[in-house]
Amino acid sequence: MAAAATVFVVDDDPSIRRSLERLFRSAGHTIQTFVSARQFLERADLSAPSCLVLDVRMPGQSGLDLQQVLEAAGHHIPVIFITGHADLPMAQQAMQAGAVGLFAKPFDGHELLYAVEQALGAARSRSGTA
Amino acid sequence: MTTTSAPGGRGPAAVRIAGTALAVAAGYYIGANLGLILRLPPATPSVMWPPNAILTATLLLAPPRRWPIYLLAALPAHLAAELGLGLGWPILLVLALFATNCSEALIAAVILRRLSDAPARFDTLRRVVVFIVGAVVAAPFLSSFLDAGVVTSFLGESYEGVWRARFFSNVLTELTVVPALAIVITATPAWLHSAPLRRQVEAALLGVLLVLLGVLSFGTSSYGVIPGIPRSPLALLMPFLLWAAVRFGPGGASLSTLVTTLVAIWTVTHGATAPPTREEILVLQLFLCVIFIPLMCLAALIEERRAAEGALGERLRFEELLSRLSGAFVHLPSHEMDCAFEEWLRRLGEALGLDRVLLLRISGSRQMATVAHSWTALGASVPPVLAEVAPSGQMGWRWLLRDDVLLFGRGSDGSASAGLADGPLQMARSEIVMPLVAGGRVLGGLVFHAIARSPAARASIIPGLQLVAEVFAGALARKETEDALRASEAMKTAILGSLSTGVAVLDRDGVIITVNEGWSRLARDGATWDPGVTVGSNYLGACRRAVRRGVAHAGEAVAGIEAVLQRARTAFAFDYAAGTPPAERWCTMTVVPLDRPDGGAVVSHTDVTERKRVEMEAQRSRQELAHFSRVSTMGELTASLAHELSQPLSGILTNAQAAQRFLAQGSPDLHEVRNILADIVDDDKRAGDVIQRLRDLLCKRELARRPLDLNTLIRDVAKLLASDAVIRNVGFVLDLHPEPVVVNADSVQLQQVILNLLLNAMDAMADSADGDRTIVLRTERTEIDAVHVAVQDAGPGLAPNAEEQIFEPFYTTKPAGMGMGLSIARSIVHAHGGLIWATNNPARGATFHLALPSSDGRRT
Repeated sequence: MAAAATVFVVDDDPSIRRSLERLFRSAGHTIQTFVSARQFLERADLSAPSCLVLDVRMPGQSGLDLQQVLEAAGHHIPVIFITGHADLPMAQQAMQAGAVGLFAKPFDGHELLYAVEQALGAARSRSGTA
Repeated sequence: MTTTSAPGGRGPAAVRIAGTALAVAAGYYIGANLGLILRLPPATPSVMWPPNAILTATLLLAPPRRWPIYLLAALPAHLAAELGLGLGWPILLVLALFATNCSEALIAAVILRRLSDAPARFDTLRRVVVFIVGAVVAAPFLSSFLDAGVVTSFLGESYEGVWRARFFSNVLTELTVVPALAIVITATPAWLHSAPLRRQVEAALLGVLLVLLGVLSFGTSSYGVIPGIPRSPLALLMPFLLWAAVRFGPGGASLSTLVTTLVAIWTVTHGATAPPTREEILVLQLFLCVIFIPLMCLAALIEERRAAEGALGERLRFEELLSRLSGAFVHLPSHEMDCAFEEWLRRLGEALGLDRVLLLRISGSRQMATVAHSWTALGASVPPVLAEVAPSGQMGWRWLLRDDVLLFGRGSDGSASAGLADGPLQMARSEIVMPLVAGGRVLGGLVFHAIARSPAARASIIPGLQLVAEVFAGALARKETEDALRASEAMKTAILGSLSTGVAVLDRDGVIITVNEGWSRLARDGATWDPGVTVGSNYLGACRRAVRRGVAHAGEAVAGIEAVLQRARTAFAFDYAAGTPPAERWCTMTVVPLDRPDGGAVVSHTDVTERKRVEMEAQRSRQELAHFSRVSTMGELTASLAHELSQPLSGILTNAQAAQRFLAQGSPDLHEVRNILADIVDDDKRAGDVIQRLRDLLCKRELARRPLDLNTLIRDVAKLLASDAVIRNVGFVLDLHPEPVVVNADSVQLQQVILNLLLNAMDAMADSADGDRTIVLRTERTEIDAVHVAVQDAGPGLAPNAEEQIFEPFYTTKPAGMGMGLSIARSIVHAHGGLIWATNNPARGATFHLALPSSDGRRT
């Protein structure tokens, strides 16, 4: 298992951020949390293989906006959306934009872990072949 | 001497005139024959010649315009009498003698009409003297020149002899016949009707005695009853003549002189003794004149004196009556006045010898005179004009005040012109109508009927009647005032009695002066705190005792009553519940000062249970509506609320699963697990808070006003909407006063208002650019003990002139809106004694403002 892979979490809710951090740490992942899209864009190191767990609705820039920004910048980081209220148009938009998963809060942590590990695996293989 | 004439008789004037003319003719004919009988043949002039005196009496009694009729009527009688003698006198002589006879009557009548105030009356010395000068002396004196001329030229007799004989004969005739005739015609019918039988017997006896004594004194031989002493008719007759004059007045005197004269002349001319010479006749005539003139003067004097005494006595009685009358009404209660009016009408009528006295009252509204009281003398025959007047009820009489005299008229229809035309015509001359005037207002009139008096006597009692009128008018005015006052009092009592409100009037010490029926009713229901309080008891004291017994609200009542009694407050009012729950009543108590110098207060208790019930019903409806509105608002927020709940739930689940994983590891990091559990607890509380806020807004519960901090309330609402705001990409800026802003309010209702304003603001900015989606929530204290809340958005702002409309029900700009939100918000704010309004911002968007009364925030 390559330890260099990092899980990024962007959510404005501190409780969500802390719980996700613990969940991923319990699975042995390296995790970095951000309070907003802006903070993520400023601080995240996108060079290593990584996976982004992203809240859809946030004050300021939304998760979907951030996804578009990353795509536009050429960062093909796998994105898993978590959302407080999932509606069909938003889910379609996210999946079309290349999201690898979408979880409605409250979600099963094991499933999210599984999805994240799948995404990290894909990311690693992509970076390895690249 | 008799007459068939009846001057006062009824019937058409023409018939009366014809009757009188016939009577004059008959009288003249009889008088002429009598004169011829009493003639001393062969001399032409009679000793006594009645026709001239009959003509004189006729002219004195008749109005001058009818003189020619009566004089002409006498002409046939003259012709018949003179030509019937068969003396062979030429017709010219007969006509000339008629002319001289008429001239004598005319001279007498003209002089008396000029000089006497009553030519046909002989009851004052002045009238008698004028009569003697004019009719007895001047008329025969002047006419005798004509007569002597006529006789001398036709028959050749001595001018001087004829003049002298005719003059003295006519003097005697005028002196004796005219008064007797005039008095018999004018007064005898009434005297015969009214004089007692005794008087009539006395008069008849006197007449018989005079005839007998006349025959005795003039008819016997030249010596009288006692031989040796010359006969002295005067000595025998004088006592009886004086008897007649003293006892029977001018009428008795004139009739007795006439009888004496006739007897004397007849006896002398036809007596057994030798015919008297011309000189003896002359002496007889002079003798009779000398006796009769003083006798008539004496009778007139006595009559004058008697009349004056009678008038004085009557006047004194009248004055005494007036003095008693003027005091009679002073202290009379108005309800006794009607009886007093009747009584005094009777007294006045009896004192003045009237047939009828009426008290007419004029009702101001109808302008009609009504006979309010009347008195009619027993057996009085009332003239037809008044006979139709019913003693009570309305009549068709109109009144008219002209020159201080009240005129009454009776018209068949209601036209005023008929009344004016009829009025004066229908007035009887013997009536005096005094207006009753008080305070410049004609209240009615007093009608005194059948005042048969001389103009002078009428004038003399007018001042007395004016006094009567003044007294009656004053009494009537007072009665009207008192009646009006009593009616007003009765009206006030009736009004107070019909009020459902219980009213009590207190004096300055709180003692009840009066209460109405409503008070007793409310007192029984326990609304006055003491069922026993009534007139005479001290209400303030009763309320104080109720306070000591612990009766609810009694303390407020005491404070209110004291404040108003001490003039510290001009009004006091409060609502309270009275009675026990099954029969609980809501009442309002008001206390206002009694507007009088002595002070006091008016306390009223009003049962407002029904009003209160309606109010509570309305409030309940408002609450239902507000609740419905809240529920529908929650519907709008469902997505947002789901999100709000999902956050903590998600945190809990993730944390729990992380903990499971840590614990499954070989050496679990318990510190980590403890932190996880702490977060789980926090998230659970967070979820619980969301649910609690929802429950608060959705539950139906009674209003509960308590002091609350608007800052906290606004923060809570902002939290509730936080997720929604994120979803809609709207930011809240809370610009709240640093210290608590406390109002006394129902928190759920105020949350609803703020929630509504925030949702509206967010809706308003749905189409705004992303950078401008900010809502500013501001709280501040104002200088006037109030708090101000502003919710400022950055939307398109309000449509022009919509600032008021937006608060109307069913006004909406949203496609799915009901238009109730702001209307409900306004009713909530008004119920809290506050105001809500909206303004457009200078740059963009609108601001909604709330102003609420401040509760002292620094203490809480």
